[in-house]
Amino acid sequence: MASVNILKYEINASQGNLSQTLKAIKNGKIEQSLKRIQASLEEVEIPYYSLKQAVLQDQQSIYEALKNLLLKILPAIEATKRPSTALIIGTSLVDWHLVDAIDATVYEDEKQPYVSHKQSIDSYAKVLADEFGLSSFTMTINTACTSSANALLEASNMINAGMFEYAVVLGIEIFSPIMSSGFYAMDLIARRMPMPFDLDRDGLVLGEAIAGIVLGKSDAVWSLEGGFSNCHSQTITSVSQSGDECVEVMQKALQSSGVKADEVTALKAHATGSYSNDLAEINAIGKVFEPSVKFTALKPYIGHTIGASGVLEIALLMAAVDDGFLPKTLFCEHSISSDYAPLTEHVKCQEGLFMCNYFGFGGNNISLIIKKEL
Amino acid sequence: MKLYIKNYSSYRSDREDVDIRQLLKQKYKLDTRRQDDFIHLALYGAQMLKERTPIREDDELYVTSGYGDVDVIQRTNTYVNKEKEPLKLFDFINLLGNTTSYYVAKSLNIRGKNIFQISDNFTYINSLVSLYASIKNSQKDAILCAIDLASTPTEVSKRVLGVEKDVKIVSSVNYQKFSLDAEDAIAEVEFDLKIYSQDEIHAMMQNGRKAVFNAVRCAKAKNSEDAVLFETMASDALNRALAKNEDMLYIDCYEEKYKILKLKSLK
Repeated sequence: MASVNILKYEINASQGNLSQTLKAIKNGKIEQSLKRIQASLEEVEIPYYSLKQAVLQDQQSIYEALKNLLLKILPAIEATKRPSTALIIGTSLVDWHLVDAIDATVYEDEKQPYVSHKQSIDSYAKVLADEFGLSSFTMTINTACTSSANALLEASNMINAGMFEYAVVLGIEIFSPIMSSGFYAMDLIARRMPMPFDLDRDGLVLGEAIAGIVLGKSDAVWSLEGGFSNCHSQTITSVSQSGDECVEVMQKALQSSGVKADEVTALKAHATGSYSNDLAEINAIGKVFEPSVKFTALKPYIGHTIGASGVLEIALLMAAVDDGFLPKTLFCEHSISSDYAPLTEHVKCQEGLFMCNYFGFGGNNISLIIKKEL
Repeated sequence: MKLYIKNYSSYRSDREDVDIRQLLKQKYKLDTRRQDDFIHLALYGAQMLKERTPIREDDELYVTSGYGDVDVIQRTNTYVNKEKEPLKLFDFINLLGNTTSYYVAKSLNIRGKNIFQISDNFTYINSLVSLYASIKNSQKDAILCAIDLASTPTEVSKRVLGVEKDVKIVSSVNYQKFSLDAEDAIAEVEFDLKIYSQDEIHAMMQNGRKAVFNAVRCAKAKNSEDAVLFETMASDALNRALAKNEDMLYIDCYEEKYKILKLKSLK
């Protein structure tokens, strides 16, 4: 596919904005908190990467959080170009408009007089587009952990097809007791820290974040060169341990970008820290790359932010490279592979080609190729 | 933008009274366990499409809906937020929009791209836009599933549809298989990003073309054909015209803004 430039990016995650997160990564001072959730027999505490300023599970709070992030990246687009800018959100958030409608209709003690407004999970995008004069075309994608990564690929397709000059892609995930309980019920939550690719890994740690990227054809040092997305997995919650489904998206992402595996400077792994996902991914890396490949995991710094992780982790990777380094993978002392190990120290890096992987529930897998050329 | 339609499938609860779960189990031999009515509805439409047109492993799949699976949100809200009971594992999995598209893809043996998306307005047309952009890039074919389930009580859905309380809403699932290639196509559909005014719409209708409006959304317009509502009814209108080999101009409306689809039969 033709490349699309990445004009601006910013995040609001557990360690703060991009600048604050980079500082935390370099200092090794990563903040993590605890959340209480309902388990089968009792309430339990789980580790969690919380935003510094809480975003509540209500429409206004979510809207404000998205708006604040949008305000930081929108200056990349001239005011006159806003009407030809699409807004796409990637998230796995529950639709709180529906929850309110359920509360007002179903439960005797919460019944409300009938009022109806056209609302959906995409209402955040619609209201933001109206407020900032963007195109009326909005869309919200929910493909679990791949949501905002898929949103990036969809946005780049629309720009390449000449439909829009620019696209803003936002990813958002905030604390949800229901989502956390679901991951806990699946025995996927780590006891303390996520340890991607380490022999002693025991699960993932969820996190919340809002992140945004502006795509367009204007000049920029970063570009989205290509990618590939599919739906192929052994079960609804995981790919096979052989990693063959991951190999397919990684190889086709390289093909779509016209890039060979040995030209890739480094790889940002999905690397949740769960037993089977990490095993599948490292097996896939072994089938696509030589052992000398540099790869790293960012989730030990910011948590697994599900639908937001696509935009968040690409933005953080780009910011780190802009700062001159590739972050090491925290907490991985003994790699699960004898031949392949993630970075154990920060490595100097200022430009190159980078693969970014995301493998999620529902069989969705996506691999994106980004490039920085000075 | 122009797409060719290879085939379609259609179901509406107010036109047919069928036991979808039983059909999936007995006729199509599908495992229906751990799945909601929303997923079953999507699977039913997928199986009917499969009977009418070849499906390729690398076909892309887009699933769109007005508001998704209300039942699972209602159930989890009751268990977790009201009764303080633990979340049931398969309710958690079914909460994710792409769970539906996973089951559809699996039942069709598709391993290509698979997207679950919702647009607040012009839901179906916006999905066509992203599908078109995708296959313009990939040069593959794509299947679009447009699905809305009228859960009980329907008042929940009506509260987020922006409609009067007495509007009748129905369950529906409509599929089309699209291609950039005209070979073996039964129709072509044209659409664009433009928002039309009411005056432009009236001018368009002067040429005698058969126009079908979204009756509830275009309350001020004439010639409305259908007095029920589901958010993806543009897809149903397309399929109804396809069934009759008719040309059609479909006009959708939201907040006094109009978008159109032009369907031309090739049969």
